[in-house]
Amino acid sequence: MAAAANKVDGEGAPQALKRVALIGNPNVGKSVIFGLLTGKYTTVSNYPGTTVEVSYGNISLDGNRFLLVDTPGVNSLLPMSEDEKVTRDILLAERPAVVVQVGDAKNLKRTLVITIQLAEMGLPVVLDLNMEDESRDKGISIDKESLSSLLGISVIGTVAPEKKGIKDLNAAILRGSRAPSVPVNYGPVVEEYAKKIAALLPPANISRRSIAFMVLAGDGSLAGWLKTNLDENTIEAVEALRDECAVKTGRSVGLHINEARLRRASVIAESVIHRSAEKENKFMSFIGQASMHPLWGLPILLLVLFCIYEFVGVFGAGTLVNFFEKIIFGRYLNPMFTKLVDTLVPIQFVRDLIVGQYGIITMALTYAIAIILPITTTFFIAFAILEDSGYLPRLAVMSNRVFNIMGLSGKAVLPMILGLGCGTMAVMTTRILESRRDRLIATFLLALAIPCSAQLGVILGMLSSLSAMAMAIWIMCVLVVLLFSGFLAAKILPGKRSEFFLEIPPLRKPALANVALKTMNRAVWYLKEAVPLFVLGTLVLFALDKLSLIQVIEKASSPVIVGFLGLPEKATESFIIGFLRRDYGAAGLFALSRQGLLTPVQSLVSLVTITLFIPCLASFFMIIKERGIRTAVSMLVIITPVALAFGGALNWVLRRFNIGV
Amino acid sequence: MPEEPCRMRAEPATEKKQFEDEALETIWELLEKGPDVHLSQLSSELKNEQALIGMEADGLIKITGSKVEFTEQGRLRARDITRRHRLAERLFADVLALNEYEEDACRLEHVISTEVEEAICTFLGHPPTCPHGRPIPRGKCCKLYARNVTPLVVSLADAHVGDDFRVVFLRTPMIDRLASIGLVAGSTIKLFQKKPSYVIKIDETTIAIDEEVARGIFVKKHERRPEEFS
Repeated sequence: MAAAANKVDGEGAPQALKRVALIGNPNVGKSVIFGLLTGKYTTVSNYPGTTVEVSYGNISLDGNRFLLVDTPGVNSLLPMSEDEKVTRDILLAERPAVVVQVGDAKNLKRTLVITIQLAEMGLPVVLDLNMEDESRDKGISIDKESLSSLLGISVIGTVAPEKKGIKDLNAAILRGSRAPSVPVNYGPVVEEYAKKIAALLPPANISRRSIAFMVLAGDGSLAGWLKTNLDENTIEAVEALRDECAVKTGRSVGLHINEARLRRASVIAESVIHRSAEKENKFMSFIGQASMHPLWGLPILLLVLFCIYEFVGVFGAGTLVNFFEKIIFGRYLNPMFTKLVDTLVPIQFVRDLIVGQYGIITMALTYAIAIILPITTTFFIAFAILEDSGYLPRLAVMSNRVFNIMGLSGKAVLPMILGLGCGTMAVMTTRILESRRDRLIATFLLALAIPCSAQLGVILGMLSSLSAMAMAIWIMCVLVVLLFSGFLAAKILPGKRSEFFLEIPPLRKPALANVALKTMNRAVWYLKEAVPLFVLGTLVLFALDKLSLIQVIEKASSPVIVGFLGLPEKATESFIIGFLRRDYGAAGLFALSRQGLLTPVQSLVSLVTITLFIPCLASFFMIIKERGIRTAVSMLVIITPVALAFGGALNWVLRRFNIGV
Repeated sequence: MPEEPCRMRAEPATEKKQFEDEALETIWELLEKGPDVHLSQLSSELKNEQALIGMEADGLIKITGSKVEFTEQGRLRARDITRRHRLAERLFADVLALNEYEEDACRLEHVISTEVEEAICTFLGHPPTCPHGRPIPRGKCCKLYARNVTPLVVSLADAHVGDDFRVVFLRTPMIDRLASIGLVAGSTIKLFQKKPSYVIKIDETTIAIDEEVARGIFVKKHERRPEEFS
């Protein structure tokens, strides 16, 4: 772990660089603080689980350099999901000079439960109570001086988006800190066994007593650490002690420990909190409630969908694409470049490569920048607003039942919706799901039936030029495949779905600056990610064309493409580049339909097929990374025929029953 | 109070009392099904003529020909014993989540005092029926709270939306996860909605959960808002 971290740092003498770890409950603003301290952007949103991996950044305070570590949020340092384990493992493996614990000022009790655990670990802590503005509106004020003297550590108050208190935080980090003193007595039995187990443990970066409590609480995620640090006999002895303690306690030791911490935290919190009348924003909390209400939730959802459709489908995929493709590229850039290349480059082959039918500028860049960039950018804006408002967890509440059919809980809506942004990021976000089984189903559904923003935008653009009927059929097809394959996967895979449990953050007004920054970052990231692959795909087509192989492939795949799917031979190209990126494939279809080469039925069939088609190369690599090569390949083997078969079936049905779209 | 070893008080008449209890309970059950009870309907263990005649002599039942009837005293005792049995069933089935509880319920009905019986009844919220759906005869405690029809301790799944509750106990595999956000026995929570998912608030934390999880959170109605404590 430490070695990997050093690699990330890469500058100067990494061993000498002191580490500062940001730790805290989910959705308290650790990433905002990280951004403020390092000047480095990491995704910030208003839902728990935005950060699923560790980010590192350098900070320099008065000439002292530190390596700052941002971690996924935890409710307890007894991990209950993969992202929580990441955080605990950092504390176990690294030796931070200071832990900056970020807490929600209006939720002091929960904050202190973590402080207590950090204190037990013997880690030096600076406590940052963030979101002081929100807690003030709730009528909650905290006597930070008393709290500081009670805990024996610095307690800073901040309002991160307004940069309030950041200077104080910097100063506190620089001063250094010590372990808070909040001893908790867990009663004679647990204390006795904690002592006995601690005596058997090897020295570690955190106190042995704290590891003993993890063992006593039955933390299964600790097994790996125990195995590498203890011999078999000692592990057996430790486990025997743990079981003995459980018998003597007569109830869940984990719960017993947790309750003792909560009681202590509650006593401290009550002694430093002063309550006054609430000045809550009634409107926001009303909308927040209504958006998950059984009756009002649905119209609000439809309104949200309608707005997204208008903004992304009509404005982005319609107005903006027209402007960029027809005017900027069609009227100015492409003719200009063609002229330029024609006069400058004497070789026909090179001319074709740059501005020909499969040219890098005329095809790859036109698709990437004129067709897809406006669509993804508008989608990213809409999406950032949704993320920052806190609507997504509310959507999870609304859709929990539907996800139950697919053997998942409503929590899976977060990676699924993120998948509408980008499948690659979404596969990583499946880490917030509790079980391996849930993560597997969610990844499979993402790869099969969730179109990414680029693809979705192109599809919306094409569908909006067809008819409402076509749109309805496309939505129905995707939903049927999603529900049915989820249902099947849930039946086939052993195990039970995890029960739904999700924290709902308050509804907040999205900050324009963050929406803009996030959209910028994602758009840049998209260009970096997509353009090289677009160029590569174009080169492949170019080579196939020059070698006259394209006709061969079109002929060879004609039984499937022409016979089965009923599409023109030219559509084969879209599926070839679709292997690299689904959105590129969709863009190819888009271009075909704009040239009038696809009938409405053909458009619909090709869209449904490309929606279900294999995920793009980048997300395929992410699936390999997260789920392993075997799983990734099996998904590919299942998805390709399913997509083609479903498209074929749709083609048959539409023609057989003469359904006009 | 120092713990003392548990000793049963010697009751010479235990066997007789047990027989009477069983007989009274059976007759009560039969009377729930039909208007009359005949000796032939009693199970073989209860067809102990001598003992039945003894009960008649004690003024618990009246036997006319083959027909068996309660005296007022007998009816009251039958009612109590049935009530204790069915309350015990409720306790085992709902709170302890046992599947095999019949035998223990049979044993418990003979030994619990009126105080314990009323405490159980109150704890369960004066349940109207046993797990098999047969009515539980009302006790004194139920009448005291006759106007308060909602049970005292209910699962969150049976609780009213919009109310504040105090968590009494939890019985769900999610117990650690709930504890990690501060929801343990003794916490005060507010129930916002049940559909499409349950949404509850504890302190300043709002969470959404499934009905299955909600079913395992047992609560008592809490009249005061937490702010009013300070």
